[in-house]
Amino acid sequence: MATRLDPNLKNELEEFGVKDLEKCYQCGLCTGVCPLSSNDDPFPRKMVRYAQMGLKDKLIASPEPWLCYYCGECSDFCPREANPGETMMALRRYLTAQYDWTGISKRFYTSHVFEIFSVIGFALLIGLGFLLFAGSNPDMQQARLSTFVETHVIEYLDILMAVVLSAFLLSNVYRMIKFQMGDLLQKVPLSMYMSEVKELILHFLTQKRFSECSDKRMWYIHLLIMTSYTLVFLLVVGLLSGIGGRLPAFQTDEVRSFFHIYNLIGYYATFGLLFGTSYAMIGRIRKNRAIYQFSHATDWMFLILLWLTALTGILIHIFRVIGGDGMPAATYIVYTLHLMVAVPMLVLEVPFAKWSHLAYRPVTIVVTNVKKKYENSIKFSTPAASDESQSA
Amino acid sequence: MDKKIGLYICTGCGLEEALDINALTAVGNEEKVAVCKTCQQLCSKEGKELIKQDIENGEVNAVAIAGCSFRVNYDVFDFGPEILVERINLREHVVWTHTPNNEDTQMMAEDYIRMGMAKLKRMELPEPYVPEEEVVKTIMVVGGGLTGMTAALESAKAGYKTVLVEKENKLGGWAANLYKMAPVTEPFTEIADNYIPDIIKEIEANSNITVYTSSKVITTEGAPGMFYVTINQGSKEISEKVGSIVQATGAKPYEPENLGHLGYGKSDKVITQAMFEEMAKNGKLSGVEKIAFIQCAGSRDENHLPYCSAACCVESLKQSLAFKGINPKGIVYIFYRDIRSAGQYEHFYEKAQESGVNFIKYAEIDDVAENSGKMVITLDDVILGEKVEASDFDLVVLANGMVSTASFGEEMVEESEEDEKQDSESQESIANKPPVIQADILNLQYRQGPEIPILKHGFPDSNYICFPYETRRTGIYTAGSVRAPMDLLETREDATGAALKAVQCVENVSVGMALHPRSGDLSFPEFNMNRCTQCKRCTEECPFGAINEDEKANPLPNPTRCRRCGVCMGACPERIISFKNYNVPMVGNMIKNIEIPEEDEEKPRILIFACENDAIPALDMAGINKYSYNAWVRIIPVRCLGSLNLIWINDAMSKGFDGVLLMGCKHGEDYQCHFMKGSELAEYRLSKVSETLDRLGLESERVKATQVTIMDYDKIPQMIEDFTEEIDELGPNPMKDFQ
Repeated sequence: MATRLDPNLKNELEEFGVKDLEKCYQCGLCTGVCPLSSNDDPFPRKMVRYAQMGLKDKLIASPEPWLCYYCGECSDFCPREANPGETMMALRRYLTAQYDWTGISKRFYTSHVFEIFSVIGFALLIGLGFLLFAGSNPDMQQARLSTFVETHVIEYLDILMAVVLSAFLLSNVYRMIKFQMGDLLQKVPLSMYMSEVKELILHFLTQKRFSECSDKRMWYIHLLIMTSYTLVFLLVVGLLSGIGGRLPAFQTDEVRSFFHIYNLIGYYATFGLLFGTSYAMIGRIRKNRAIYQFSHATDWMFLILLWLTALTGILIHIFRVIGGDGMPAATYIVYTLHLMVAVPMLVLEVPFAKWSHLAYRPVTIVVTNVKKKYENSIKFSTPAASDESQSA
Repeated sequence: MDKKIGLYICTGCGLEEALDINALTAVGNEEKVAVCKTCQQLCSKEGKELIKQDIENGEVNAVAIAGCSFRVNYDVFDFGPEILVERINLREHVVWTHTPNNEDTQMMAEDYIRMGMAKLKRMELPEPYVPEEEVVKTIMVVGGGLTGMTAALESAKAGYKTVLVEKENKLGGWAANLYKMAPVTEPFTEIADNYIPDIIKEIEANSNITVYTSSKVITTEGAPGMFYVTINQGSKEISEKVGSIVQATGAKPYEPENLGHLGYGKSDKVITQAMFEEMAKNGKLSGVEKIAFIQCAGSRDENHLPYCSAACCVESLKQSLAFKGINPKGIVYIFYRDIRSAGQYEHFYEKAQESGVNFIKYAEIDDVAENSGKMVITLDDVILGEKVEASDFDLVVLANGMVSTASFGEEMVEESEEDEKQDSESQESIANKPPVIQADILNLQYRQGPEIPILKHGFPDSNYICFPYETRRTGIYTAGSVRAPMDLLETREDATGAALKAVQCVENVSVGMALHPRSGDLSFPEFNMNRCTQCKRCTEECPFGAINEDEKANPLPNPTRCRRCGVCMGACPERIISFKNYNVPMVGNMIKNIEIPEEDEEKPRILIFACENDAIPALDMAGINKYSYNAWVRIIPVRCLGSLNLIWINDAMSKGFDGVLLMGCKHGEDYQCHFMKGSELAEYRLSKVSETLDRLGLESERVKATQVTIMDYDKIPQMIEDFTEEIDELGPNPMKDFQ
């Protein structure tokens, strides 16, 4: 059956930030300059074309948006200023919304009201939680968080949140795999996926593909944010109470030595997150790179929340230890604020928005590898099979 | 008048360092010149003054400048119409291309001096041809569309009486029926209201323009400066005498009945661009929500029109924007192969893109069909490489291209009488004579047919690169879409250009000057009718139809139609045609004055006849770039290789030249010959002479024709080297012994 053209998809894509799509006259220069584009999965031109023609099914099945890391060269070189890089970025938002079965992602991306109110709503909810359930008699002489909230309660809630968010995210990841694999989903054996687990972890941890972009700077920044975030995430979710005391607890009332491993990690993460997000925010204000030319409201929201999380995180530490006894009231308030910022960020961004990229990118790399492997195995096994049938 | 030749040898530009100037002066004195002087820099004020003094003192009335090429400093060495000037090129052709202070180089320079002297001795001052009857400067424009009206206005504004002939009952033509028009001013993004009525008003207000509507040209007789035109207007017949003619009869849309494969005729929802204009004008587009334009409907299609119709892309862009103007929410698709919105119209294309027009590049339209009241288009998408379907169209517009009005009619077939069959060889020589289609536009009373010859695809263009508007009939210029497919903006420019050409024509003709490309040349061919054998070669081979003939086949030249190429001179077996400053004996004498060394000196000689338009500039550029080539050659510039008379080959061979090389323009489909087919004719004539050479025991390989474009200057040394090697293998010319 012939592919159907749809003139209306463009309008839908524009809500996700697709810009200047119509300016593209398909010269292909973008694909030519892209260091990541390959003959098997060429982009961004193909994606731009799908978008122009309104081929929704092809877009949803496309792995290419996740193979792009937005170095911005395509946009810099585009003779029509059609911003193909931004189209790829916007398509990632669109695809995130398409994978998400709850519909939250779509609303988050397409409605400023929803975006702002959901963040504020969650924050207030957390604040209310503290008002209602925080320790009624915190130690005001010495900053001791355990007198403000019980660490294990926070840890349980942490783990609960991790489980719920993972469930959302993984279900979305599964939907993505389904779209990308199409008919092959049932055919490809699980073992083929399993053989790629190493790749998955490697790409997850290093974003290795990103380093193939001509401009390595963005990869360093990205790696800095990524590692900082992941390390601190492990501390907060996994080691908040040190796995029932088997390891030192991250959240403690003791004042650790400056060179304690948790402190070092904390300082690194604080630096990484603050530097990385500040760099991106300044870039977006100055619009000094192609990737910073257009800022979707959710880009700002993400950066601001992350920046605030890092800032309040380090402030807790400072207020807690300052002058030996710390500043108890400030510590408790900032702690509350920290969670009022961090929780909405995690709840909204991990399964429904930007943090989900951390899952979609490496999984897509694995899926495309698996797909290629499978197709090759078919290609090479078919003639042999026909030989057999002939001899039979 | 006695010729008193002054030979002036320039010693600048490296001449003095490379040549023995005293020896050159000695050659001049041998030739008994009246004055022989050298000067450090002849083109300087002092140098010119030196020559002027001699002229004013009455010592000199013919000047030979031995120095740079005639292609430079021609304005410096112009001493008025009474003084003959010959330029001997010792710079580009000798010192810049050959070893300095070398025996061969010196011999070459001395030969060129002798050749220059021989030429000057045989040259006469041209007397311009001014017809006995009055030359009129009225310009006639045929066709009252946008092009014709613009041409008429431009001519009239330049101060010339203009006659505008239109076959319809009102002016305006095709463009008058348009709903909106593509932009003609910056920023080239906004569609414009129809501006044709304004132009019509302007025409009506201009007292220099006489308009004949509902009229057609029945006959056109005569020549530039004195065309007699009979115009039929209803029952009336009007006679006009005009100086030059602009044919701006435009084009017609390609017949949509032939486009059944795109759904035309199968559904009334498939229409042409013209029908869209009509619907838009009459407000019949309301209710149309989704519309498709199919580009190249018939164009660039071997089964229909093999060429690009040039205007349809811009028209479809305009129509889609006009549709958006009527229905801003309407959806527009343009299915195209390449958007060709030339020049400033790129901005217009961008505007259409930004306005949300969907552009889909197709390889092939598979089907245009109706499905429950809506149109469905299936096509091969180039970029996806798969079948694509677009549906729900209320209207499909075919951009159906254009066909020149000059292409409608029977092709003229030459009547060949029985007794002429023996002459089939000469017929063959002009076998690729351009076709003349009897389109009933100008109805020329020319021996060569009633209309302007066609170049290709039915368009009466002349040359693809150098000469827009020029046709192969002098004084008649084509403009607008009759000569090549073009959009409305281009036609306006074209009309202006053609009007200027028409003005140049009447002005030059009135003083006996040649038109393009030898504009300003005062010479013209003269016929010594006593010796004419009525062979008709001159009339047949004249590329411009300048020569008629009487019933006895005597040539009847029309000098104002002549472009002075000399093709007739080259054609004439009796050598009865000559120009005052370019003739058969003149070149013959140049050949005879070249010194041919004895065989045992082992200095072969090769004569090059080089076309002045491409080969000479290429040779000059080889000199400017200091590319060195073989010193055995001697170069004679010719107006056109078509003016090469075979007797010159004979002269060269009997003189003892070992080889003759002809350097002519590129011919074939994208020919670059200024005179249409001069180099082709020369090659054809050469094929005839080779038999004779073989009979004489001279290898026909000794004479060779090559094609040189102006950009081949870097290949010139190799070309010459290859030929000298061939000649070397053949050994010396056996005729040398009979000197």
